[in-house]
Amino acid sequence: MTQVKLISAWFGGALLLAGVVGILESGAADVFLEATRPDFQKISLAVAGIHNAGGPDWLGGRIEEVLKKDVQRSMVFDLVDLPSLGIQTPDVGNGTGVGSKAVFKQAAEKGVSVLVWGKAGLKEADKNADVNMEGFVYDSGSDEVVGGKRYAGSPSVVRQMAHRFADELVFRYTGEPGIARTKIAYVAEQGGARELFVMDYDGYDARQLTADGFLNLMPQWSPDRRFLIFTAYRNRNTQDIDMIELATGKRWTVISLGGLNITPALSPDGNFLAFASSHEGNSEVYRLDTRTKAIQRLTVNPSGDLSPSWSPNGRELVFVSDRGGGPQLFLMGSDGLNVRRLTFEGDYNAAPVWSPRGNWIAYVCRTHKEYKLCVISPDGQKRMQLTTGPGVDDSPSWSPDGRHLVFSSTADGKSHIYMIDADGKDIERLTFQGTHNSAPSWSPAS
Amino acid sequence: MNRTLCTCGVVLVMSMALIGMPGCSKKSVQSGGDSQSTQGMAKGGGADSSKSGVGSFPDTGVQSGGGGLRGLDKNPSEERVGSGTMLAKVDPSSSAERQMDEVRAEQAASAAAGLRDVLFGYDSWTISEDGRQALSRDAEWMKSNPSALVKVEGHCDERGTAAYNLVLGEKRAKAARNYLVELGVGANRLSVVSYGKERPSCNEHAESCYQQNRRGHLAVKTGK
Repeated sequence: MTQVKLISAWFGGALLLAGVVGILESGAADVFLEATRPDFQKISLAVAGIHNAGGPDWLGGRIEEVLKKDVQRSMVFDLVDLPSLGIQTPDVGNGTGVGSKAVFKQAAEKGVSVLVWGKAGLKEADKNADVNMEGFVYDSGSDEVVGGKRYAGSPSVVRQMAHRFADELVFRYTGEPGIARTKIAYVAEQGGARELFVMDYDGYDARQLTADGFLNLMPQWSPDRRFLIFTAYRNRNTQDIDMIELATGKRWTVISLGGLNITPALSPDGNFLAFASSHEGNSEVYRLDTRTKAIQRLTVNPSGDLSPSWSPNGRELVFVSDRGGGPQLFLMGSDGLNVRRLTFEGDYNAAPVWSPRGNWIAYVCRTHKEYKLCVISPDGQKRMQLTTGPGVDDSPSWSPDGRHLVFSSTADGKSHIYMIDADGKDIERLTFQGTHNSAPSWSPAS
Repeated sequence: MNRTLCTCGVVLVMSMALIGMPGCSKKSVQSGGDSQSTQGMAKGGGADSSKSGVGSFPDTGVQSGGGGLRGLDKNPSEERVGSGTMLAKVDPSSSAERQMDEVRAEQAASAAAGLRDVLFGYDSWTISEDGRQALSRDAEWMKSNPSALVKVEGHCDERGTAAYNLVLGEKRAKAARNYLVELGVGANRLSVVSYGKERPSCNEHAESCYQQNRRGHLAVKTGK
């Protein structure tokens, strides 16, 4: 269904050799492109079991399963299956025993760079007692157990323990926080209305945030992850831009100018809100200074201008305009100057989102009457189509590490939310409930 | 052939109520349409914000990095794990019930009034001859029901992006509104709103269904 080479993990083989930390962001574009090189290699990692240490039978296996998927999605590691290499996975405890040395040696000889294992159990016999999890990491490069983690929490957060451990692994080997603890905000049908929800990045643990009984649309995260900003229809007749604080549920209106007020996007530093509004006639892109409340109109055009998305350094915006007929992507400075058209292929290009790495802009492109995902470099030189086949793809949103996109698609009939690698490979469906899930927005990394 | 995306239809919602245009309980909202400078809208939060149309803003910049990760440790101390981002429980508000009741009442009232829908072509906001005929009858109804307020809703089919369909829906709603004004309906009795592809009347992925969703839909508003 999807192919296409292009990006992927942006840092190259140097990481692997060093097996360590410290991928710097400056000049990210150049580094990123190395991932298109065929010699890019992930770090081979194997999970030698999360063993049960007193507790329900499912406990260790559940954590292990979540951890393995996180490791795969990180795209930093190549997950190796030990049994298929003929390596058994006994419980090696804390890795200091004689038996563990043999296992390490075996794994290292088979090319495993990082070996991970652990155990999990209940603190007490009571099934409501806290879960304890320990995880350990053996690094074949240094031939030692480089460290571990100990977690405690209620049985309802065992997935979070696995996510946290996975992020520690990514952090250890890349210096980045990982994405396993990120969230996805989205819109779901609820009794005929469309309400805001938030779920874990892997589609689990969905929670409802609003219950208006009408329309709440297109949520976007604040840079600090504490708020969502979105379009709300107050009393069905007036379209405003609202914010909601996730921890408290506190909600208020931030833009109520009249007319259409849509596609809000906070700048990476949180100091500006870009949005589209038709309160002066037709839809135009505006920029609000969130400290002074001054509003600056950035586009002046009798056509529709909308969907601003910030470059990671906050200096530019990509947006949609139908000033040439159909919708196309344009770039401009964050002051509205230096407008230039970015897309020329096809007669419908919309919903742009600038990658957190800066080097790609994902968007919806229409090809052969289908609405699919494309990416284009900000200089317009490189363009790739990521998805193919039937169904309307919409609302792409980047993972904070720039290695994945989440989007909605009607490819399976009803609208659901999917994750796709930024190179157009693996597609994973994230939602299975309900009749309509749309407008996903990936949270920043914590 | 520029058939595209959404197809917005237009819905006229007739408001039987006698209240003025936008206006909602909390924040007053200016009706869209006329030009007005937005420069100098710099106002603090609080009472002024409702006038300027801009509410209060928290600081949303990122305060800390690191994501709470402490790194691997040879003698790790215990870390307490919670559910990640803390999420408030949704208030079991009566808002949802009330809104849905009001939607049903609007639909029933508009059906009773016999208002006609307006159809739009794919990727077009031009009003067709059929559309003009429908709007002519609607205009007659409005003239004989002079207290009714009409909300012109733009709707789209599922094709195209949600965001761009909202803009298209507004173009179509405004085209219908403008035609009603041409027919002599007072502009102050008409408001527009776009629902893009978010409130389809039909959910199949078929041209026949897209056709229905492109079609405008008339609803009469009852309360408030």
